Amino acid sequence: MRKYDVVVIGAGNGGLAAAAKILSAGKTCLVCEKHNIPGGFATSFVRGRFEFEASLHEFNGIQTPENPGSARLLFNELGVGDKIEWIQLKEAYRLISLKEGYDFTMPFGLEAFAEANAKLHPDGKKCIQHFWSLCQQIREAMNYLAESKGKPDPKVLVEKYGDYVRCASYTVNEAFEALGYPKIIVDNLNAYWCYLGADGDNLSFLHYANMIYSYIIGGAAIPSMKSHEISLALETRIHELGGDIWFNTEVTKILTDEEGHVCGVRLCDGSQVETRHVIANCSPHVVYGRLLEESAVPERALKLTNSRKLAGRGFTAFYAFNKSPEELGLTDHNYFVYESSDSIEMYKKMGTMYENYGQATCVLNNADPNCSPKGTTIMYSTTLFTTDVWKDVKEEDYYKLKNQIALAMLKRFEEAVGVSLQEHIEEIAVATPQTYARYCGHPQGVIYGYESQPRDGLLNRIMMVEEDRFVPGLRIGGGFGERLLGFPSSYKSGYNEACRTLSDMQKEGN
Amino acid sequence: MLFSKYPDDIKRFQEMTNDRRRIIDNTPATPLPQTYAVNQLSKALHPNVIPAEIVDTKEIGRNCKIITLKSTSENGRFPYFRAGQFITISARVGDSFITRPYSISSSPYQAMQGIMEVIVQKAGLFSTYLLEEAKVGDKVVVGEPTGDFYYDNIRDRETIVAIAGGSGITPFISMIKSIIEGSDDFNLIVFYGVRTRSDLLIDLDSVKHEKIKVIPVLSHEEVDGYEHGFITKELISKYVPAKYSVFMCGPDAMYNFVTDEFVKLGLDKHSIRQEHNSIGDRQFVEPKVFKLTVHMRDQVYVVDAYQNETLVCAMERAGLAAPVRCKSGSCGFCHSRLVKGEVTTPEKYESRRAADKKFGYIHPCCTYPDSDLEIDVPPFVAGEMI
Repeated sequence: MRKYDVVVIGAGNGGLAAAAKILSAGKTCLVCEKHNIPGGFATSFVRGRFEFEASLHEFNGIQTPENPGSARLLFNELGVGDKIEWIQLKEAYRLISLKEGYDFTMPFGLEAFAEANAKLHPDGKKCIQHFWSLCQQIREAMNYLAESKGKPDPKVLVEKYGDYVRCASYTVNEAFEALGYPKIIVDNLNAYWCYLGADGDNLSFLHYANMIYSYIIGGAAIPSMKSHEISLALETRIHELGGDIWFNTEVTKILTDEEGHVCGVRLCDGSQVETRHVIANCSPHVVYGRLLEESAVPERALKLTNSRKLAGRGFTAFYAFNKSPEELGLTDHNYFVYESSDSIEMYKKMGTMYENYGQATCVLNNADPNCSPKGTTIMYSTTLFTTDVWKDVKEEDYYKLKNQIALAMLKRFEEAVGVSLQEHIEEIAVATPQTYARYCGHPQGVIYGYESQPRDGLLNRIMMVEEDRFVPGLRIGGGFGERLLGFPSSYKSGYNEACRTLSDMQKEGN
Repeated sequence: MLFSKYPDDIKRFQEMTNDRRRIIDNTPATPLPQTYAVNQLSKALHPNVIPAEIVDTKEIGRNCKIITLKSTSENGRFPYFRAGQFITISARVGDSFITRPYSISSSPYQAMQGIMEVIVQKAGLFSTYLLEEAKVGDKVVVGEPTGDFYYDNIRDRETIVAIAGGSGITPFISMIKSIIEGSDDFNLIVFYGVRTRSDLLIDLDSVKHEKIKVIPVLSHEEVDGYEHGFITKELISKYVPAKYSVFMCGPDAMYNFVTDEFVKLGLDKHSIRQEHNSIGDRQFVEPKVFKLTVHMRDQVYVVDAYQNETLVCAMERAGLAAPVRCKSGSCGFCHSRLVKGEVTTPEKYESRRAADKKFGYIHPCCTYPDSDLEIDVPPFVAGEMI
């Protein structure tokens, strides 16, 4: 009988991080992945003479080896710090918002960012400095909360972290209204909203402010060999530690014993693997809907899962041009092209099939000049669909529709930036919610996990992580986890669930 | 204090978790969906493999047949595909389990009705099996339509100039049918190079359509009303409009020659799309035999690997269900881990990702052994189906 201390379902970011952590604690671990390569969204693909990054726009929390950020520290702990080569990005973003006529480029660095805002508004610098001081307090408070392991002293919280406590329940829009900054400064601070994919009435201010602060203070980076480099670094580490990864191997059931404790998994070929602990790197919708026997799913798990909102469904158009970025007039790496700076208005348009032009577009060569052959350019444009408009697409209409949507986005980008790109396309690939569903199996092609909601945001999820867990021996981590979506969050979530699993094992005496 | 707008904000903070508990309390415990519409379409378009049976074989030339497959899957269909793509056919031949790619010659709508046609020309072991032994009623496994050799309305010009050599006409036959049935909408000019009229694999009368023009170019026969010789820039210029995109499918020698002609006409050679040809054997007078250790999940197999053959050939001969799709290194379906040993991947078939090379991953379909080897290979589900 095959037997492992832990079986990890899914070799996505969370699953790989979880397996590396479990193995480094001396336990045995098997990772089962239904696809033929690791990484989930963290991968790349080859078309013609180009290798395309599949999903990563920028990776936050890396910084330098001398001054490592939280993500680099995590990779170091997992034993892959020296296996990945990082390239630092030069600038934060270029924001183009058509309704307001904005077009400006923002630098990394707290001071430089504040100075750049001085050019937008006379009070810009002052407001940003004020904002940074609030962010700093939020960060310190979150560190304090982490150290207090969920049992903070309320007196310390209120006295030392008063602003944190006051804004902890705020949405982004509530907080910015309270702060009273000029509109252009607020709009600029809202630029990153698409990275979390919830509008300002739903997104937690704490979460969002902490993210902006992390980006601007620490900068961002990309791996030199696309995100596939991170995935293979982790896979290599898992093998070094004696772990097994089986590809083309879908788990079809999580098995439980009479006491309701995990006792194994069943695989797509009908065979079984014995284990007392499963870390599922997939959505609770799939875990409670399909992987567990119905009788093993507690009512509360169904209530919780039903109460949550599926976040953005992914759409990305990938292009390789037969001209250099200079020849094409593409000067920046990271473009946010919005119809409007009002995230609520944008979010609504992103719920429609034909009015969704907003996009985060990366020109990869402007971050990594060696990412494609000389005289060529790789660019990719991502948007989210915030409703299930892709669910009614007919099989025979699918390919035409996806090109229609991609072309509309490309035309909008060309107009907004003042460039002409279409005639220079050498390779193209378009990924839709169907594509993401194919590779990662998430419901409806969701790439952003569960959407941040006023009462289902970062803080609540972290505080209630043990309450959100129902089946002994089963932990769920990754992009649907307590840290919400994103590259650093999904690795961290997998790592956290591995730590909790190790602690479960210790408590159970095995 | 930065905030004072909302006087109850501390209370709100204290109630956050209770608010969430109440929301969960008030949500019904409805059973969760087993599947989702987007995921279902995804599965219909990309089923990975489809069980099928041979329902017709028809000789259309010397050592050349159209083989018609019918889906025997639950829904009785093949996925709608993009004309120009290929499928794989897997079957057991003696003790071997073999998978080979074939360009589709039928149309996307036919696929939805459960029919796929491929043109098989005698080349190696498997095509010989399909031509000489396979019969109506035989069960095979079809690998889903794959490849990026198709018209793209964003990337390509409105006119495609197709260069076909011999059975390289196959993907263009699919494109012709696709235009006629309305699945595709572009102008197609096909220069079809064959030795003599008897080598033509299509009935020219069947392709009369305002958007389609097929120009046979006979290399070994001079006949009135037919072009003769090679596909040169003069010949091309005679038929093509000012703006067009080029697709080629045929032997490598044709690619080299005709590409030069297009470059003379001012085209960027990178804009020309050439369908990948399958890799063949390496030449050795007396090839060595190496020991190949294959891990598939927790199974371990030790098989012979001839120095002149790819690792996929070695696994297939031993009856292992190796994952195979393109046989040209381009699709990544056979992505495997090289645990130990020395190998060679010819530059022409090198489509691995940069990180694959850095961390020691290979495409066994285009990798030759240079020593005893140990590799970790994902199993191919087709092996469980026949």
